[in-house]
Amino acid sequence: MIETLGYIFAYFVFPGILFASAVGLLFMGIDRKITGHMQHRIGPPIWQEFLDVGKLFCKEDVTPAAANSFVFNFVPLLSFGALIAVVLLLPINSAQPVLTSVADLIVIIYLLNIPAVCMMLAGYASGCPFGTAGSARYVVQLFGYELAFVIAALAVAAKAGWSLSLSSIVAYQAQNGWMAFQVALIPAAIAILIAAQGKLLRVPFDIPEAESEIVHGPLTEYSGPKLAILRIAYDIELFVVAAVIVVLFFGGPVPHTIGGVYIPGVVGFLIKCFGIVVLSAVIRNIAARLRIDQALKFFWTFPTLLAAISLFLVMVV
Amino acid sequence: MTFIIPIGPQHPALEEPTHIRVEVKGEEIVGVDLRLGYVHRGIEKALTERPYAHGFYLAQRVCGICNATHSLAFTRAVESVAGVECPDRARYIRVIDGELERIHSHLLWAGIAAHEIGFTTLFMLFWRDREHALDMRELLFGQRIYATGTYLGGARVDIEQKHIPQLIRALAELEKSTKHYIDVCTSDRTVIARCAGIGVLTKKEARELCAAGPTARASGVDFDIRRDDPYAAYDEIRFDVVTERNGDVLAKVVVRLREILESVEIIRQAIDAMPKGPIRAKFPENVLENEAVGRVEAPRGELMYYVRSNGTNKPERVRIRTPSYANWPSIRPMLVGGTIAEIPIVVASIDPCFSCTDRVTIVDAKTGKARIVTKDELRRLRK
Repeated sequence: MIETLGYIFAYFVFPGILFASAVGLLFMGIDRKITGHMQHRIGPPIWQEFLDVGKLFCKEDVTPAAANSFVFNFVPLLSFGALIAVVLLLPINSAQPVLTSVADLIVIIYLLNIPAVCMMLAGYASGCPFGTAGSARYVVQLFGYELAFVIAALAVAAKAGWSLSLSSIVAYQAQNGWMAFQVALIPAAIAILIAAQGKLLRVPFDIPEAESEIVHGPLTEYSGPKLAILRIAYDIELFVVAAVIVVLFFGGPVPHTIGGVYIPGVVGFLIKCFGIVVLSAVIRNIAARLRIDQALKFFWTFPTLLAAISLFLVMVV
Repeated sequence: MTFIIPIGPQHPALEEPTHIRVEVKGEEIVGVDLRLGYVHRGIEKALTERPYAHGFYLAQRVCGICNATHSLAFTRAVESVAGVECPDRARYIRVIDGELERIHSHLLWAGIAAHEIGFTTLFMLFWRDREHALDMRELLFGQRIYATGTYLGGARVDIEQKHIPQLIRALAELEKSTKHYIDVCTSDRTVIARCAGIGVLTKKEARELCAAGPTARASGVDFDIRRDDPYAAYDEIRFDVVTERNGDVLAKVVVRLREILESVEIIRQAIDAMPKGPIRAKFPENVLENEAVGRVEAPRGELMYYVRSNGTNKPERVRIRTPSYANWPSIRPMLVGGTIAEIPIVVASIDPCFSCTDRVTIVDAKTGKARIVTKDELRRLRK
């Protein structure tokens, strides 16, 4: 009974829906504020994302007749659910995640792709040329960044003794220091940060939803509560991708005791995630959008090569 | 197998309505066709139904961005028709007016171009610095956008001595930031990836298609009304006509940014050389039968007004030839051979002003179909 309640608490409150949504929305708000300052604007207040999503939830649920299908209506929830599942698999407060499976890393990589697949389906199902064009570009981009992302993650797993369990990767880092500071893994860390930029559809890789070319890509026909759920899912994705990178490369959650006060691991974990979000926000404000062919070429050369070098060094040296 | 992709009349990449039919084979563009005529306003006809003094204000409203050059071109044509000589001080005021407009128009365009390639930060920064030019227009001529220093027979307002230091400070700011932007645009790798080698217009094509202004100068066509047919005080001011050789989008960016630096230099010289004296000559109410052409270098290229008078206080015919209209045909060689993702930035690269370009569409009242009038038909109409 207690165990069941614990799972329910984990799923709905910490680190599940409530916590992940709050952190995701807050990170996005901070990201928008940083963007505003970098663009010489005041920028919205950091809780603006909460207001936006709240407003969207209050709107009428309008679905265009051409788009009204099971796929189109179901995709926001599927995308949201997949990301909450990733949150439950991540060691956020301590080295032990809420859920564990045999090969956490594989499951996480798999689950992280579900939102991308959802967006593609949504674009094709929306019956809108902009959505279709966006989905086609998304497919290409997915093949671009995913290769670098997976190879970089594999390099970490190889370093931790071919362990696919996140808790053992965190435990390894607690003993041997952060993966990002291991000489062999520095290229992989750079590669995964670039791949994350592509995964999160941020400039210079916001090609599937390039607003001056194809409006909002797959999201063009969404409005109201469905768009709100997709927005929350995107914000959680921002947090989750940062969290995966923190777990793999930056030590994961480490509890500290400063001046006799016990600080739980989640605090340090969120600060590290925040650092990655800030880095991502800075990159997205100092670049122009690439064309899809240029992006694919870039992903398959520079980051993939870096990740492969790391994997090679870890396995050989 | 080719498909037709319609761009417009409503499209996120277009600020105003126009219709571009792009024929594609996969991702590659193989043909382009243009349909203009969505915002035709009948201004040429309206100008012939107003006295010159009222028509002057209407001419300004042809374009929201180059209103100073429109009023100057109209004034230049009307002054030639009436044989009115503009006082010296007013000629310099007209130069300052025109160049401030060029600066703000080029920065506005650069911002839009940055937005088209997804570089929002650069877009915001361009528009931040455009404020300097707009503030100066407000200070000197009373309004940020619809400001003009020109008036029939001279200048509308005098430039006061106390405003000069502020103007010089703003120019220094503009010069500094523009130099920085030239650095950014020629060194940032993502900007180069999106702009270099894209939308190339060769010098030969630019000449054949009669491209005008920065679009032609980016392709190496060394032509500028300010130097080749000087008006206002341009014959007494030293400046370079900026040209680039490559003819791609990057060259068009660089040409416009370097023109801003030239404009800053021109305004500085105009401030120093400005003589004292009256700013306006008397303009007659009725104008004797005559005809004249007024040419001005607008931010987008050569702007031409033809005015024919008939002895009354209203012109008999006014014809406006805007630079955007001259630049539209060059879209075709720039787009053909490229990909769909390049359409927004390439179309934006000629700095199109849609309301300037719209002309009459011939529609058959019975069938409701629009048709194109051939050259032979036009010849027959003339007789």
